[in-house]
Amino acid sequence: MRGIYLVGGYPDRETFNECVHSVIESGFDFLEIGIPFNDPIADGPVIARAIHEALENGAAPDQVMDDILLLKNTEIKKYVMTYANVVYSYGIKKFSGKMADYLDGVIIPDLPNRMSRLFYDNGFDIPVVPFATLETRLSDIDMINRSKSEIIYFVGVRGITGASGNLESSELLEKIRMLKDNTDKKVIIGFGIKTRDDAVRALRIGDGFVVGTEAVKRQKKPDELKSYLNSLM
Amino acid sequence: MRATDGFYGQYGGQFVPEILIPALDELERAYQDFKNNDGSIKLLQRYLNEYAGRPTPVYYAKNISEKYGFGLYLKREDLLHTGAHKINNTIGQVLLAVSMKKKRVIAETGAGQHGVATATAAALFGLTCRIYMGSLDVERQMPNVKKMRLLGAEVVPVDEGLRTLKDAISASLKDWVTNVTGTHYLLGSVAGPHPFPEIVAYFQSVIGREALDYFRLQGFLPDCVIACVGGGSNALGIFQGFLELSAVELIGVEAGGRSLDPGQNAATLTLGSRGIFQGALSYLLQDGFCQVRDVHSVSAGLDYAGVGPQHSFLKDSGRVTYTCVFDGQALNAFHELTRLEGILPALESAHAVAYALEHAQDLRGKRVLVNLSGRGDKDLGIIEKYMGKEA
Ligand SMILES: Cc1ncc(COP(=O)(O)O)c(C=O)c1O
Repeated sequence: MRGIYLVGGYPDRETFNECVHSVIESGFDFLEIGIPFNDPIADGPVIARAIHEALENGAAPDQVMDDILLLKNTEIKKYVMTYANVVYSYGIKKFSGKMADYLDGVIIPDLPNRMSRLFYDNGFDIPVVPFATLETRLSDIDMINRSKSEIIYFVGVRGITGASGNLESSELLEKIRMLKDNTDKKVIIGFGIKTRDDAVRALRIGDGFVVGTEAVKRQKKPDELKSYLNSLM
Repeated sequence: MRATDGFYGQYGGQFVPEILIPALDELERAYQDFKNNDGSIKLLQRYLNEYAGRPTPVYYAKNISEKYGFGLYLKREDLLHTGAHKINNTIGQVLLAVSMKKKRVIAETGAGQHGVATATAAALFGLTCRIYMGSLDVERQMPNVKKMRLLGAEVVPVDEGLRTLKDAISASLKDWVTNVTGTHYLLGSVAGPHPFPEIVAYFQSVIGREALDYFRLQGFLPDCVIACVGGGSNALGIFQGFLELSAVELIGVEAGGRSLDPGQNAATLTLGSRGIFQGALSYLLQDGFCQVRDVHSVSAGLDYAGVGPQHSFLKDSGRVTYTCVFDGQALNAFHELTRLEGILPALESAHAVAYALEHAQDLRGKRVLVNLSGRGDKDLGIIEKYMGKEA
C-alpha cells in the first residue's frame, strides 16, 4: 500500500484539492489528509509551518472535512491525520457521524493505542489506526490487534515528521518482524520515507509506506508534486 | 488525590505519541519504587532540608493585615534555594532520573524558575541539561537565562508560535520523542501526560503539609488558602494540605491578563472548555475551530493555555474556586507587598496576593493563607518597564 500525506487546506483550499487529485491520478492506494491543529507536537518544521499557514488561510476542520466528502466516489482509501483535540473538541460522535462512511481510519499521533478507548467509548465508529514504534514491546501487541483498523502505522524513526530514518537498521527490521509474526494487519511505514529507493525498500520489508514531509514540501507547486509522485511509483 | 488508570474523573490521560508510552511506564515504576522506599524518601528529605532550605516558614504579614483588615499569612516558598517552589519537584525528579540511569534531563520553562531549578539539580547530580524556553520569555526573564547558562545548562530559545511556555513544552516533547532512550523529561508543573501530574503533585505536597503543621501548632486553621495557577503545581502543592478540611476555602487564581477578551488572558479554568492539550485532557483555552487560543499574561509563569488535570477535576467537584486577576492588579500587589512588608514577590505569586487585596471586604476579619510561590528578582525588568509606562 502506497500512501501520501497532505496538509488539508494548504497552501489554500484550491491548490490543496488540486494536489489531492494528483495523488489520486498517480495511482496511490491511500491518501492521508491532515486536519490542521496549531500545536502539532509530532511534526517537524516543514509540516508545522504548513499547518500554521493553512490555518491562517482558513483551513478549519469543517472545511477540510467537506473537501474529503467530495472524494466519496473515488476508490482511493482515505485516512484523516489530525490531533486528538480536533476530534475531541469537534465532538467525538459528531466527527464520527459526519465522516464514518467516508474514511478507512484516523491517524492521531497524540492518541497512543491505550487511549483510543476514549474515542470508542464515546461513539466513535471510525477505525483508529494503531501505532507501532521502535520502542514497541511484545506486550503491546494485544492492544494493536484489538483495533478495528486493517493497517498498523509503524513510526520508523525516533523523532518527528521530517526526521531521517534508517530503513536498514537491524533494530527496525526486528521490530517489523515482530509485528509480522504477531499480527495480520498491514504494516505501513511512516516517517523517514523520502525517495523512490526508500519506497521500494519499505514495500519489501513492510506492506507499504506513507510519504509526508517530502510531499508537503511540494504542495505549493502542484506541478513539482506531480513529478515527485511519479518518481515514487 | 490519586489518579485511577491515569485519570482524575474524566481528566488526565496520556495524550502523547506512542513512542513515549514505554518511557512513561518506566517513569511510573520508578516513582512507585521511590515512594515505597524509605531510603529514597529520606534522601529527598535531606536534600530538601539541607540543600534547598526546607521547611519554609509561614509568615504573618502584620502591616498588610492591618491596612487591609484581614490576617495575611504567607507560605514563604520564595525563600527556597533558586527562589521558588520549583526546586521541590526538580530535586525529586532528578532522583527519579538517576534511579532510571538517565544521564540527560530536558525541561521547559516559562518564567525561568523551573529552568533554573532543573539546571541546579542537574548540576548537583552531574547530569547533562537542556532547557527549552520561548524566545519572548528569554527576553523578559533574562536574569534566569544567565543563571541557567552559568549552571551549565544549554538554553534553547524557541521561536515558534507566541514564543512562550506552550511552545517550550512542544519543543521539549519533540526532543523527548527523539532522545527518549537516555533522556528524562523533567516536566515542571502538574501538567502533561500521566504520571507527571501525579509525580509533581507528590513532590509539591510538602508545601501543604508544612503549612498545615504551622496552623495546627497555632491552634487554628486558615479560613481560606489562595495560590496562583499556571500549570498548577504550587497551588496543588499547598491545597493538598487542606483538601480534606472542608471548612477551609481553596481559591486558585489565574492570569486575567489585560482583559477577559479572547487572547488577552490565560484564565484557563475561568474561561476555557474541555480539550486535549500537551498530554492531558483538561480545561483549555480554545477557539470555535478546535485550535488552542493565544494567551497573554504579564507573568511568564502563568502565560499558558492549559492547566493540570487535577485542577479541572477540583473545579468540577466544586472543592476549589478558580478565578483570575488582571495584570495591573498583580503589579499593584507586587508594590504593596514590597513596600509594606519588604518582600518582592514573583509576578506569578503576586496574582495570589492580589486576589486577597482586591477582596479585602469579603475577607474582613478572616485568616488568609497565600502561597508565596517565588521571589521577584527575575521580574525587575518587567516591573521597571510597566512603571515607566505609568510615569
Ligand atoms: C514563582 C512561580 N509561581 C508559580 C508559577 C506557575 O507554575 P505552577 O502553576 O505550576 O505553580 C511559576 C512558573 O514558572 C513560578 O515561577
